[in-house]
Amino acid sequence: MDEFIASLGSPLIMGILLGGLYAVIALGLSLVFGVMRLLNVAHGDLVIFGSYFAYLVITFLGIDPILSLVLGIPFLFLIGFAIQKFLMARAFKLSMEAPLIIAFGISLVLENVYQIMFSPMSRGISTSYSMESFVLGRIYIPIVYVLNFIAALLVMVSLHAFLKRTYLGQAIIAASQDAVAAQLKGINTARIFAMTFGIAGATAAVAGVFLGLTFPFTPISGISFLIVAFGVVILGGLGSVLGTFMGGMILGLAQTLGAHFFGSAAQMLILDIMVLVILAVRPQGLFGR
Amino acid sequence: MALLAILPIIGLPKDWILYIFLFCVYLALANMWNLLCGYCGLISLCQTAFIGLAGYTLVIFTWNGLPISLGILCSAVVAAVFAVLISLPLFRLRGIYFAIGSLIVPDALRVVFLLWRPVGDKIHGKGAGYMLKGLEDISMTHIYWLAILVGIGSIFIMRLILSSKLGMGLAAIRDNDTAASSSGINIFRLKLCAFVISAIVSALAGAIFFMFDGYIAPTGGFNMKWTMTMILATVIGGISTEEGPMIGTVIIVFLHFVLARYAGISLVIQGTLLIIIMLLVPQGIMGFLRKTRPYQSFLRLLTR
Repeated sequence: MDEFIASLGSPLIMGILLGGLYAVIALGLSLVFGVMRLLNVAHGDLVIFGSYFAYLVITFLGIDPILSLVLGIPFLFLIGFAIQKFLMARAFKLSMEAPLIIAFGISLVLENVYQIMFSPMSRGISTSYSMESFVLGRIYIPIVYVLNFIAALLVMVSLHAFLKRTYLGQAIIAASQDAVAAQLKGINTARIFAMTFGIAGATAAVAGVFLGLTFPFTPISGISFLIVAFGVVILGGLGSVLGTFMGGMILGLAQTLGAHFFGSAAQMLILDIMVLVILAVRPQGLFGR
Repeated sequence: MALLAILPIIGLPKDWILYIFLFCVYLALANMWNLLCGYCGLISLCQTAFIGLAGYTLVIFTWNGLPISLGILCSAVVAAVFAVLISLPLFRLRGIYFAIGSLIVPDALRVVFLLWRPVGDKIHGKGAGYMLKGLEDISMTHIYWLAILVGIGSIFIMRLILSSKLGMGLAAIRDNDTAASSSGINIFRLKLCAFVISAIVSALAGAIFFMFDGYIAPTGGFNMKWTMTMILATVIGGISTEEGPMIGTVIIVFLHFVLARYAGISLVIQGTLLIIIMLLVPQGIMGFLRKTRPYQSFLRLLTR
């Protein structure tokens, strides 16, 4: 029995740490969904954009991948801003499925641009510390996982503070609750929506770097991480930062515990079934209002 | 149709046959997606599930020595049953939530077929794929005829549905579901009906494609690329129009044909085309044509 509990320690800790990464991946998706009711199917590809951007920066400039975020965050913010301003803003006026179909188009274009530029080969971001780990009791913990978790906490706390304390953050929340009412109060919702998409892009940059440090990625990895992000958003509920964080934890734990009990091949299936059941029983998410 | 059918006999080049074959398969898929998204408001991203299931049904049949014709019929039955099963959780969701829910289904199936080896451990390649057995005595011409049957058949099915009571009800639901429901339309049953029909036709198209391909693996069978193709063809041609998927599929297959050697670039062009068309002419090429004067005078000429 003691053996059994001891053997659970590793998947528990790894699951929680991995949950941090998943939460950051899902954050942009949750934000865009919460504010604009848009299912951004290109979000996974934006995250992979972050990974490839960091990959390029370190191969050409030779700096630390985490430092490369100084360039990556503003760059992806601009891309997100531009997508909303020039493409989505017009699509929202058309119909409910138009923005979704445009997001599909963006995803298709991005995936194939990666294929052409970087070949379909799998890549990873490697640094001096990416292989190292430290020992806690009898459990080996890779340093990268701890970094993931710290980064996730930082992003969550700063985003939460931004939404709660700044004027812009409050305007985003107002626009998400009722766009027309916000507009009547003098909020420029078009600009707010573009800012929101930009922030989602910035979180994708962070997610991309840490994803690249943790897992190998290919041009078509976007779709599998998109499904992970959906899982987090559905579990945690829409548009809530805390919910997203909890959703990430649950998903991370479900994956590592699922792998522990049923083998690594079944872990994604457990995830998918969990998400489907929650969608059917409680579509607003476990922590949603 | 008769003209298309005799093409292989009079000796058309092989790749032309291939492109007409692909056209027919994609046309059936695009028509069914148009039925769901354009006429019922169901943004279904799980059509790949039916295609993959059809492929695996064929594998199970051919490996057990059963006739392939029975396999094709059974793949339609399997898809229909599966559609009814997943409609239980999915139809509780609306709009965008339905899209998310349906996106997860093919991914779940992909994992199921990675784990479950339906016909033993003799797999081919890294992706846990199976070859179809007993295809030697079926010529490409036969498969081609089947594809024409399904492709052209899907056009007639669309016409039949849209002119029937089912189509009227679906249009009413799409335009205003509360009003439709209060006029005595059973929303759930009608949507389920359309969903099952789309599952059956998509499965038939999938089965025929895999007869041609001869190989199925979980990642290929349940690939998002299928969904992409349906959306591309429908939206480029014109969503919610009967002719739209036909025009869209012609364009998609034409791009395949022209840019066959540069698959990546072809997809980038298709994606860009999708975005541009959605923004500039959201009703697609067909919707655009309908508004122009020559088309309307052409219609007037026909109805005179």
